[in-house]
Amino acid sequence: MESSLELTTSLSGTSLPPLRSRIFKIIVIGDSGVGKTCLTYRFCAGKFPDKTEATIGVDFREKVIDIDGEKIKVQLWDTAGQERFRKSMVQHYYRNVHAVVFVYDVTNGASFRSLPAWIEECRQHSLGQEVPRILVGNKCDLRDAVQVGTDVAQKFADSHSMPLFETSAKNPNDNDHVEAIFMTVAHKLKSQKPLVLSQPPGADSTVPVRKREEEEERGPWGCSC
Amino acid sequence: MYLKKSKSVGASSPLNGIGKQDWDSRRKRKVAEISQALSVTPVDVAALRRMAISEGGLLTDEIRRKVWPKLLNVHTDNLPEKPGEDLRENHKDYHQVLLDVRRSLRRFPPGMPDEQREGLQEELIDIILHVLDRNPQLHYYQGYHDIVVTFLLVVGERLATALVEKLSTHHLRDFMDPTMDNTKHILNYLMPIIERVNPDVHDFMQQAEVGTIFALSWLITWFGHVLSDFRHVVRLYDFFLACHPLMPIYFAAVIVLHREEEVLECECDMASVHHLLSQIPQDLPYETLISRAGDLFVQFPPSELAREAAQQYSQQTAASTFKDFELASAQQRPDTVLRRRRKEQAALAAQSQSHAQAMVVARPRAKRFVRLAVMGLTVALGAAALAVVNTALEWAPKLDLQLFP
Ligand SMILES: Nc1nc2c(ncn2[C@@H]2O[C@H](COP(=O)(O)OP(=O)(O)O)[C@@H](O)[C@H]2O)c(=O)[nH]1
Ligand SMILES: [Mg+2]
Repeated sequence: MESSLELTTSLSGTSLPPLRSRIFKIIVIGDSGVGKTCLTYRFCAGKFPDKTEATIGVDFREKVIDIDGEKIKVQLWDTAGQERFRKSMVQHYYRNVHAVVFVYDVTNGASFRSLPAWIEECRQHSLGQEVPRILVGNKCDLRDAVQVGTDVAQKFADSHSMPLFETSAKNPNDNDHVEAIFMTVAHKLKSQKPLVLSQPPGADSTVPVRKREEEEERGPWGCSC
Repeated sequence: MYLKKSKSVGASSPLNGIGKQDWDSRRKRKVAEISQALSVTPVDVAALRRMAISEGGLLTDEIRRKVWPKLLNVHTDNLPEKPGEDLRENHKDYHQVLLDVRRSLRRFPPGMPDEQREGLQEELIDIILHVLDRNPQLHYYQGYHDIVVTFLLVVGERLATALVEKLSTHHLRDFMDPTMDNTKHILNYLMPIIERVNPDVHDFMQQAEVGTIFALSWLITWFGHVLSDFRHVVRLYDFFLACHPLMPIYFAAVIVLHREEEVLECECDMASVHHLLSQIPQDLPYETLISRAGDLFVQFPPSELAREAAQQYSQQTAASTFKDFELASAQQRPDTVLRRRRKEQAALAAQSQSHAQAMVVARPRAKRFVRLAVMGLTVALGAAALAVVNTALEWAPKLDLQLFP
């Protein structure tokens, strides 16, 4: 599967050149209950949801961000964690994914031990080391209940060439942190994708961009944690 | 400890533009007819089905408590005992169930005291584990709890346990396989139904490659997960309990079709269309949509769509889907389905290819427009309800035999 960027074209007036914003499509995966829905909600709505419910199938959230003056649409695909949904249901949504966010719950060792299976699922959908992937340990606000230490998690992240972020979707002090994590991914995507040539209005609004060269990113890429 | 106070769903007219008095008198008549159907021996189940489908459904939770068991052929004099606590620690799905029930706050009436809600949540966990424990062939799915909570709130714990068990081994059986392959097959009926009624919407959705997952939670929770007004949920449950197990997918199609303008105005890409459709409007004209779903079921029954659902999607599985589905809806054990599938796969592959060609020739596009005129008529006459009952019996003779042996 080819990782591609898409353009959406929106005409703001017939005589003006079309405004377009790039779309970054990011899929969020991990065991049920680790906080995927809360993290994506926090990023897109800016707060911790007071009531989340089990995610059935796939939910979608988006947010327009501004990087160096460019408006970029970040689409987060929040997936169901229960095993049975994965095989026949979620597949479809792995298409044209630009980045992957793996989430585990720092207070739940089992959710950390499931990570290899999640990485394997991604690999089967042709999302290996060539796409940006990050590891997020959630629920850091529950300090007394931590089961997965930072050192173990960091080792794991290193061995899979991913940056690690520990955060909390809930703790208001970490508000910026959740935002920063997704922004880091967006910056990464922006920096590595060549700019797309403008298209005359009326042309197909979805333009696949040439595949990125396999270059620099072998190791974990810059992270602020 | 069900909600004795949450009564009377249809206190006001469910249809706009109909005089209150008119509806009041029809409502009274309906209550009398339901009592009549319940009082005869044997109970007039066909009449009860008609009542559950037609305008306003079963009207009150009090009536539902009497009629739902009849629709499912559950005897209320011999209800299961309260399940023991030991189930909790031992069951493989316990943690998932706990997680899902704990965060299902929105399913409970707003304003219910926390303590009462927490008590109901415990009962919810017990019911689910009890049914799963007694039926090891059934597998818990996220969303099952949204169905069970509806029964718990209407009929109380003990009766809910019995009703849910019956439902799980019949209507919900396909969703509870070890995998969701059969559920996916059912979702494959969605696009053919839409195509029959509005090819533009169909083509647009195909072009956007939106898939059908936006309707997944609708289907497997009977809309319990997505509708915030409990009165609408129970009204739909009346309808679905009285109909063929595939009716929820017809209703899903009707919702999409109801929003055809919005869909066609949407940006034609997967994200936008998925986003639009998965946000279900809360002010749907339920009675009209129910009637329309019934009409579509009669006009384009599952058997007519089965081959198309099978051939329209995924070349590799197309050959087996039709057969799978037939078997699955006959509620056979999945292992039997799989064994037969292997045997018949080769033969079917060849067969379905020729079917595919035949169907293309045999289905002139104009047909759907002719049929739409019929639909308008049946809505007006309220005949759809009757037809749906009859067709349900016709199309699901096996299901019905199992419910009413
Ligand atoms: N304490 C704490 N609880 C959280 C945090 N994130 C999520 N939760 C809770 O964990 C549960 C599961 O969250 P959810 O986002 O639904 O998990 P998902 O299944 O991965 O989508 C919910 O009850 C949340 O309130 C967090 O950062 N801190
Ligand atoms: Mg979730």
